[in-house]
Amino acid sequence: MNVSGAVAADRPHQRRRVRLGRLEPLVWIAPAACVVLFVFGYSMVELVRTALVYQGRWAGLANFRLTLSDSEFRTAVEHNARLLIAVPLLVASALVLAILLFEALRGWRFHRAAIFLPYVLPIPVIGVIFGQLLELNGLLNSALRSLGLGFLAVDWLGQPRWALWTMTGVIIWKELGFGVVLLLARLLSLPMETFEAARIDGARFFRLHRYVTVPQLGGVIAFYVVVEAITMVSWVFNYVYVMTNGQGGPGDATVVSELYIYQTAFQYQAPEVAASAAALLFGATLLLIILFFRVQRRTGVGIDD
Amino acid sequence: MSRKRLAAALAVALACGAAALAGSGTGRGQAAARAAFPTGPVHLTMWWWGEQEAAGAKGWLADTVRLYEQKHPNVTIKTVLQTTDGLIPSFKAAAAAKKGPDLQYFWGGIWSVGDAWAGNTKPVSDYIPRSELRHYLNIREDTWNGKVWTAPWYVQPSFPVLYRKDVLAKAGIAPPRTWSQLLSACDKLNAKGIIPMAGGIKDGWFGGWLFSLIGAQNLRSLSDLLAAVSGEKKFTDPEFVAWWQRLHQMRDHKCWNNDINSLQLYQGQQKWAAGKAAMTITAGSDVKKFVGQVGVAKVGLMPMPKWANGPYAGKLGSTSQTVGITAWTKYPQVDADFIMFMHSPKRMKAWYKITGAFPADDRFDKSQITLPQQRLMFSLVTHGAPYLENFIPTELDSKANFGQSQLLLGGSANAEQAAATTERIAQRIRLTQRQTVANFKSWAASFH
Repeated sequence: MNVSGAVAADRPHQRRRVRLGRLEPLVWIAPAACVVLFVFGYSMVELVRTALVYQGRWAGLANFRLTLSDSEFRTAVEHNARLLIAVPLLVASALVLAILLFEALRGWRFHRAAIFLPYVLPIPVIGVIFGQLLELNGLLNSALRSLGLGFLAVDWLGQPRWALWTMTGVIIWKELGFGVVLLLARLLSLPMETFEAARIDGARFFRLHRYVTVPQLGGVIAFYVVVEAITMVSWVFNYVYVMTNGQGGPGDATVVSELYIYQTAFQYQAPEVAASAAALLFGATLLLIILFFRVQRRTGVGIDD
Repeated sequence: MSRKRLAAALAVALACGAAALAGSGTGRGQAAARAAFPTGPVHLTMWWWGEQEAAGAKGWLADTVRLYEQKHPNVTIKTVLQTTDGLIPSFKAAAAAKKGPDLQYFWGGIWSVGDAWAGNTKPVSDYIPRSELRHYLNIREDTWNGKVWTAPWYVQPSFPVLYRKDVLAKAGIAPPRTWSQLLSACDKLNAKGIIPMAGGIKDGWFGGWLFSLIGAQNLRSLSDLLAAVSGEKKFTDPEFVAWWQRLHQMRDHKCWNNDINSLQLYQGQQKWAAGKAAMTITAGSDVKKFVGQVGVAKVGLMPMPKWANGPYAGKLGSTSQTVGITAWTKYPQVDADFIMFMHSPKRMKAWYKITGAFPADDRFDKSQITLPQQRLMFSLVTHGAPYLENFIPTELDSKANFGQSQLLLGGSANAEQAAATTERIAQRIRLTQRQTVANFKSWAASFH
């Protein structure tokens, strides 16, 4: 290093700065954007390319038409949509439990751990345990029968009319802990003065949380809703695969779009149809994300709130 | 002649030459292949499955490889045991990369010829003499276009009905041989609080078994089934609805355990082993295990009770698990030689002794079989019926046989609905897997 260079290094604030104006952020994120584009961009291009060919020959939208005309694909999407019902249930339950824990319910640390535990359990373990628990002559039904509630003992996973709802229940049980911990963490970071002021003003439990707590949790709730909505649309494969032995049964009662894609691509050797289904699923997920950002922008509620 | 034309002419000439060599069957091409056994170092890899259904196979294969390597010091063979879920996807990935095993395990029928259609295997009949191959059991299911594509290794009797002599005797019932006897037995056993037949269909596989055991009985030929797959017939035709109707009858007569839909296959079979059920259906390779659990004197074995008079009725299904030579292997002649070594009398004897499963070879000395149930089973499989499930696309098997059996046995569908759904699924496969369906048509020609 020469002397002038050393001097320049000692006085970095005197360096001439290149002004890029509005382009500057783009320059900073360019390396990361390149990596993301390579990893996701390449797979997306390949996915769409595969969806537009049949055995290497151009097929236009034929694969999309085939996918959309498949009653099993429509059933799978319908099941994903039905699973979305779990989202408001999850949010409401997580909110109630988080508030109860926040209110320093006796033994709240134990309760918090107990509620969070399912979230850290591997899905295959949950699948095996619930699979046995929910057999027609399994532990749950045996308990119901011994309590004289035999009329409630149904084949939870073996009957098409119950199987998807049972699956929904298991997913709620597993995913609830994440919401509780998320909301509780936000609650614990809120300034206590607001709550004290509301209490001094005479707000009781319901009014306090309805008008003070919930508005302050808006951003976290919105985040949780989006995460769980995406889970229900494109992240339930493991549950279905493990609990139905990869079949989505009985019949097609628990087939979801991910399982449909997996089976079509890897078991039935129709990668083009699977690619078109995957592209449609990606579109639906993207729509949810865009919707989230639009709602966020319109309401002004962000994750930081 | 332009360069393009010259290249095309050369390609045609090469293709014709290759076809002539391949078509020569046991002729010069095959003789040359056998004569060219390499003397330099040869490293082979074999991906296999089977320990799961023939316990001890891993040890046997290790011994066989060791003995072969002693015989051919320039050859080393690495064996890789695959998981049940990984067997097919791993091989598909290897086939896409044209890199992987030299020898690959295949189940019989569609599992074997499907990869032949995809160009992933070389026909074993190009490397193993017909005089040798004719001894291998069930090669017909692995035959397409006049060639045998994979070599049978061991037989999977598919699938015997096991009955508990003690349980049936207690109920005063003789083993049912016909359908009406079976339905009547179901009624009588139910009246005495005994489960007639034990099974589990939550994992679906049992649906494929039932299709094969019941559905084969009224077929006149396998080509009828292949014609239905390709669309020349329909799965709603009476001959294909009939088996669903029989299954429906079984449901009406409460022939199965009431929790069949919430149990996996092997969980269901345990009810039989525990003495709670009179009959069950099991893999042939598991017979020894079940007989061992219950006691030789208490177990009887028979094919599925008969309800029709087709050529396959009253017979035990028979399929062989096979080994194939991959399209990209450098040493097909060594691969073939190793397969033949697996069929040498000493190795077959050791196979049966270790695993209790039958080698797929009519030269196997059956005097070694001491268990009476296995003796009967071996005689049944040597004159067995084709195993139907191996002759339909996987998608049809999974969605129709697995799925609709679950719905029918669970009371959510009837025979006609199940048949209609099967045809709807078949129609879709005819649209989405056009090449496969075309291959099925040409495969059907092998069975006319």
